Amino acid sequence: MASMDVKRFSHGSRVPGWDDSVDLSKDPQEVPDPATTPVPAELRATIEAHIAKYPDRRSAAIPALAAAQELHGWCSPEAFIQVACVMRLTPAYLIAVASFYDMLDTRPLGHKRVYVCTNISCSLRGGRKLLAELSEAIGDDPDVQVRGFECLGACDIAPMASIDGVFVGPIEDGEVAELAQQVRDGADPLPAKQLLKRPSADPHANTRAPQEGTE
Amino acid sequence: MSTQQPLIFSEIDEPGLNTIDVYKRRGGYGERLRKALTMPPEALVEELKASGLRGRGGAGFSMGMKASFIPKGAMDKYLVCNADESEPGTFKDRELMQKIPHLLIEGMIIAAYAAGANRAFIFIRGEYVQQADILDAAVAEAYDAGLLGENILGNNFDLSLAVHRGAGAYICGEETGLLDSLEGKRGNPRLKPPFPANQGLYQGPTLINNVETLATVPLIVEMGGAEYAKIGAEGSTGTKLISISGNVQRPGNYEIELGMSSRDIIYGLAGGPGEGREIKLWFPGGSSSPVLTKDDLDLPYDFNTLAKAGSMLGSGAIIVVDDTNSVVDVCLWLAEFYRHESCGKCTPCREGTNWTVKMLERIQSGLATPMDLDIMASVQEQIIGNCLCVLGDAMAMPVGSMVAKFRDEFEAHIEAARAANLETVGDEPAPELALLQGAVL
Amino acid sequence: MVTFSIDGREVTAPENIMLVDGAKYGDVEIPVFCYEPKLGQPVGACRMCLVEIEGIPKLQTGCSTPVKDGMVVHTQTDRVKTAQQAVVEFLLINHPLDCPVCDKGGECPLQDISFGWGGGRSRFIEPKRHFEKPLELSPLVAIDRERCILCYRCVRFSQEISEDYQLVFQERGAHTFVGTFDGHPYVAPFSGNIIELCPVGALTSQPYRFRARPWDIEGAGGVCTLCPGQCNVTFTVRDERVLRVLGRDNAEVDDGWLCDRGRFGYQAIHVDERITHPMVRDGGELRPVSWDRALDDAAAALRRAGGKVGVLAGGGTSNEEGFLLQKIVRDGLGTNDLDSRVFDSGDRDATLALHDPALQATVADLEFAHTVLVLGVEPVDDMPILDLRIRKGVRRHRVNLAIATARPSSLDANAKQVVRFAPGDEARAAALIAGALSSAGSDVPDELAELVAQLRDGGEDVVILYGERVLADPAGAAALVAIADALNLRGRDGAGLLGVPSTANARGLREAGVLPFSGPGLAPVDRPGRSTSEIAGAAAAGELAALWLVGTDPLETHPERSTWAAGLERASTVIAHAGYLTAGVLEHATIVFPTESHAEHEGTIVHPDGRVQRLRQAIARPGEVRAGWWILSELAKRLDVDLRVLTGPMASSQLFAAVPFYAGLSLDAIGGKGLRWPAGASAAAAWPAVTAPGAPEVPAPAAEVEDGRLRLGTYRSIWAGPEVAASPALQFLRARTRVELSPHDAQRLDLFDGDKVTVGDGRGGVVRATASVRAAIPAGSAFVEGNGVAGPLVDVRKRPATEPADPEPVALS
Ligand SMILES: Cc1cc2nc3c(=O)[nH]c(=O)nc-3n(C[C@H](O)[C@H](O)[C@H](O)COP(=O)(O)O)c2cc1C
Ligand code: SF4
Ligand code: FES
Repeated sequence: MASMDVKRFSHGSRVPGWDDSVDLSKDPQEVPDPATTPVPAELRATIEAHIAKYPDRRSAAIPALAAAQELHGWCSPEAFIQVACVMRLTPAYLIAVASFYDMLDTRPLGHKRVYVCTNISCSLRGGRKLLAELSEAIGDDPDVQVRGFECLGACDIAPMASIDGVFVGPIEDGEVAELAQQVRDGADPLPAKQLLKRPSADPHANTRAPQEGTE
Repeated sequence: MSTQQPLIFSEIDEPGLNTIDVYKRRGGYGERLRKALTMPPEALVEELKASGLRGRGGAGFSMGMKASFIPKGAMDKYLVCNADESEPGTFKDRELMQKIPHLLIEGMIIAAYAAGANRAFIFIRGEYVQQADILDAAVAEAYDAGLLGENILGNNFDLSLAVHRGAGAYICGEETGLLDSLEGKRGNPRLKPPFPANQGLYQGPTLINNVETLATVPLIVEMGGAEYAKIGAEGSTGTKLISISGNVQRPGNYEIELGMSSRDIIYGLAGGPGEGREIKLWFPGGSSSPVLTKDDLDLPYDFNTLAKAGSMLGSGAIIVVDDTNSVVDVCLWLAEFYRHESCGKCTPCREGTNWTVKMLERIQSGLATPMDLDIMASVQEQIIGNCLCVLGDAMAMPVGSMVAKFRDEFEAHIEAARAANLETVGDEPAPELALLQGAVL
Repeated sequence: MVTFSIDGREVTAPENIMLVDGAKYGDVEIPVFCYEPKLGQPVGACRMCLVEIEGIPKLQTGCSTPVKDGMVVHTQTDRVKTAQQAVVEFLLINHPLDCPVCDKGGECPLQDISFGWGGGRSRFIEPKRHFEKPLELSPLVAIDRERCILCYRCVRFSQEISEDYQLVFQERGAHTFVGTFDGHPYVAPFSGNIIELCPVGALTSQPYRFRARPWDIEGAGGVCTLCPGQCNVTFTVRDERVLRVLGRDNAEVDDGWLCDRGRFGYQAIHVDERITHPMVRDGGELRPVSWDRALDDAAAALRRAGGKVGVLAGGGTSNEEGFLLQKIVRDGLGTNDLDSRVFDSGDRDATLALHDPALQATVADLEFAHTVLVLGVEPVDDMPILDLRIRKGVRRHRVNLAIATARPSSLDANAKQVVRFAPGDEARAAALIAGALSSAGSDVPDELAELVAQLRDGGEDVVILYGERVLADPAGAAALVAIADALNLRGRDGAGLLGVPSTANARGLREAGVLPFSGPGLAPVDRPGRSTSEIAGAAAAGELAALWLVGTDPLETHPERSTWAAGLERASTVIAHAGYLTAGVLEHATIVFPTESHAEHEGTIVHPDGRVQRLRQAIARPGEVRAGWWILSELAKRLDVDLRVLTGPMASSQLFAAVPFYAGLSLDAIGGKGLRWPAGASAAAAWPAVTAPGAPEVPAPAAEVEDGRLRLGTYRSIWAGPEVAASPALQFLRARTRVELSPHDAQRLDLFDGDKVTVGDGRGGVVRATASVRAAIPAGSAFVEGNGVAGPLVDVRKRPATEPADPEPVALS
């Protein structure tokens, strides 16, 4: 039956968290007290700078969580508590926010983030195959998460992937192994295939000969 | 094919165009900005109305009208640029922000002035890391040049502008979901009314527009609303950035004059599908638009025509699917996306998208009957019009259109997949299958 | 009023109400799940309330569309029915339909709406999702995530009503679930309200689970007397047992909410620890005896004492009991040594001035005032329900909240102005504010400038919510009256003073005459007697032969605990009317009368804002428990006082007749919602003449910190008291002894958060506590729960590691 791939509870239902009870030996988690919550000075400064940008400090929740994720590798309980302490919010407020968004990890999945687009335009050009091959090529590396992602807004370079924010594509079959190696090494991914270097497709957009790159 | 030269994308790959120096050399932040900031704001709004500019983000609402809804008087008002660009198939704002960020900033200064807003935000999707970095740099340059901040160009107009990065959620493209997200909450859409123009960000009147809409504003000021209105088609003025993707040979962004024939766009500009293939269906305005077929290729590409044809121009993203693909696959990919992105706030969208995916999985794996297609069509009808925002409709409409237009192919697939199943499992169906089939039959 | 048409009927309804409410004026029901006006603005999430409005192409949500004149609404068209059936079908696809084993069955909106508006069929043949269930959300609440319909009610409560922000949605879309952060339980003062809000069986009460079906139970209206808040409740009764307590919405009192102490404290009614027999100390131990024996002994002892009796009444005592008690004490024992207060909060003039009807703000005023000043009181501990009301005012009506307290308040985050002073300086702070307001702004201390400016210029409607600590110094009362007068609050609707007393029926007992200096109706007495603290002192000095404690145990609640301990030790007779064997009763009482619980009690009580409320008996009294008025009348007989009371209502009538400003009251008139000064202005006129206190003198500041000692502030936690300690469900919340310190002092004393310490006052009071280091505590102060140590200065020392571990907290015997 596995070949038929009838997923019964595997998706849309078996969500981490649903089966979790609380731990009655814990205290309720209120806003962490600054007197007993150490926060790395740099993180505090970053969060406070974000808070200053908005009329309401809560607006800084996502940037603050992103900064904490950068530091901790994921939104760990510790990260939530630190952000909550600086922002004077409860960690529950923050986990409600973080778990809503795809880019904030509430589980440790690997701090190098490889998002492979599996939406329609990429799937039409082999995005799902790319995801399977790239996951396989990278293998089990606790530092790396390879994840199918919704449309990343780069269908012009389908099939594509985002390597920690660097968009590359179209990724051809022969390039998967090379890309996997670069991801593992933390090297610049497929430099020739990076979106930033791509000129416009519109023939009328440039009357002069298309240039390489815009930077 | 039209002779209209690109307005936004003109010389778009000029090196350094993302910096203020090159942008200024090309006339940016020049006469037109000075002119705009010395006009009475009402006159500016009239100019925008006259241009006929319709929103480029999806809904196609008149930009000038929306600006005119912002209440007058002294209060905290906001301008928000919707740079969430998450509609599948859409990537025009990305190229615009990356290559000519100052055009957007200039447009926002003018729009904020017109709306009486002193605080502006660009909500950019978190996935656009590099584009956000470029914007950040451009905003810093604009501050340094005195184009943002206090007393801009000596006109006694203050504007602060911050770039806010999202964290990955399609629903944050919906304007009220975006506002909640920008306020630091879960990006759930809000009940409307009140509309953002009355009660938006931090409860203040808020003008929200798409990147492309705002970037068009300086061009309109420069050429005059009436002149701009001459470009394009009736009810669809101006040029539009079109993102073409899927089974075409030259995917990418193209700036077209609205009203151009769809065939010219898909075949002429993007090269059509590969050798020997034919178009099976195409989404004219992002994955949320009901699908059209090859019979619709001669429709002029503009707001009203596509609406009349039962679809929509949406964000201007054309996704082409050729005949080597199964409509069942496309339908399932699509439904999976909306299920993943449903915020979960309202019942029909949360449960309807989930149910639709489950039915499609069954259809795909041959555990369905044609009756399931009827149920699926009916579920789509139960979603449409009953949700809090239109994300539910955005799945139900294209899915409904695929089932309606390709019913034969769905039925053939069900038949074939069922036959194949019976072959692999033989006479003794595995218990799980038996259970499901028992329920189906 | 507007007129609109619904299903062909012309209906007139108030303007601006939502359609679902407006429809009720035409007897049309529009089904809802997420709509709950108590939670604030509608969210429009469930889509159950879709209706058709002519002229609007899309169906509209009735919960968020205000009725308008001329609107034409349809709720019975095919389009509407199809949409309603669709929503029910969607809601049920993943609902387990396990109604036979669900606690909500029979009182479940989802059942009712599925039956009334659903299509009666499902086309969903996919497997339903299944999860572990039920799971604990807290020791009080169980969560069944299969049943949840994601209606937002519980999370909105946590986020927008109690603002504790502990219960949230996580994940999104069909994955969304209700949960807390990292497995922490949802424990907060008001958490139980989510059980009542949940329209399905997803959140159920752990203590109530599987105890009854709706057809097994009866609801009995009552009032919670566990604190001065006096929330209106409905007792769910089965076989003479209270199984549950629900809110009984009264916008003037509780706004429809309850705190967890009130909601779950009922459990202490039916426990073995409850005293259900009269007892007499015999050979050092309390032994059950007959009523006759206990009453005879008590009467004999009181006679023997020959007027050397000190009498205290606790806050659970009804007006009627207080009234009868003072009569016995005054007429039978010939003394005025009788008090109902925990602090000596001023003389008769001060009491009259502060309780003057012209100065009374109401609970609802907290919500609509321009400015609310919280002075020397922590609402969440002292009168919990007000905490929610104040939050509501700030959130929804933009009330300007100002806080002036010694201990950091849980409302600080909502306040615009926060002023901290040293513990003990409450009256001083009030006097400084009064001075600043009257001296036209000349010498306003810097710290108070903003607060004073707000009071003066922030709008006329000012409500001052003060705690009894402010009255510890006579200057406090004078200052409060001076503030009110400086702000012209006298006679102004929507403004005034609102005092939070230390006990539930404090106001009623004062009005009924349980004060050393005044009788019923606050009429003066000839020879004022001893006040609470004077009684303690006299008892400790051996000047009193008997102490008579009606529903109070000073060792648990009163300041100067060691004086009380000495007094109780020296008195040869201690008569206690008690529900539980608390420390003072257990160790010192010689005669014990069992008291009624608040579900058994009948009579009246008075809310701090002057509202007279009625207690009704919901269940039979267990064991030998008898009505309070009966005990008093039996004692009176034995002391040759003729009370002429044969029933509870007879006592009420006597009380109403004896108190001039109760004119016009009757039990019927009080009804289910209570009544304030029914005769209006004429009753207010019956208020005894008030001698305005002079300008307050500013008391000297609290003692300087010296020798490394800290200024002590005490507070009483919402979780203190025998009801919590004896309630199996609430026991886990029993107030833990903690000493709250500033980081500065902790560092100086080489203490870390969580360290075991002793706090000693150098006068015999010592408590063992855990150090709790909090950034918000001002340096120099330390705060300890309860009355174990007395100020003004204390030593906080780390306990040597060799010291034995903390003994298990002593359970009530
Ligand atoms: C589910 C959903 C997603 C949307 N995503 C986007 C988006 O990514 N970018 C955008 O500009 N508008 C998006 N919109 C449209 C916005 O709600 C809104 O109409 C637009 O930002 C208004 O700007 P405009 O008038 O300039 O088009 C979306 C709408 C919906 C319902
Ligand atoms: S638990 Fe109950 S109240 Fe909370 S969202 Fe679910 S159904 Fe609503
Ligand atoms: S009651 Fe109106 S949407 Fe839920």
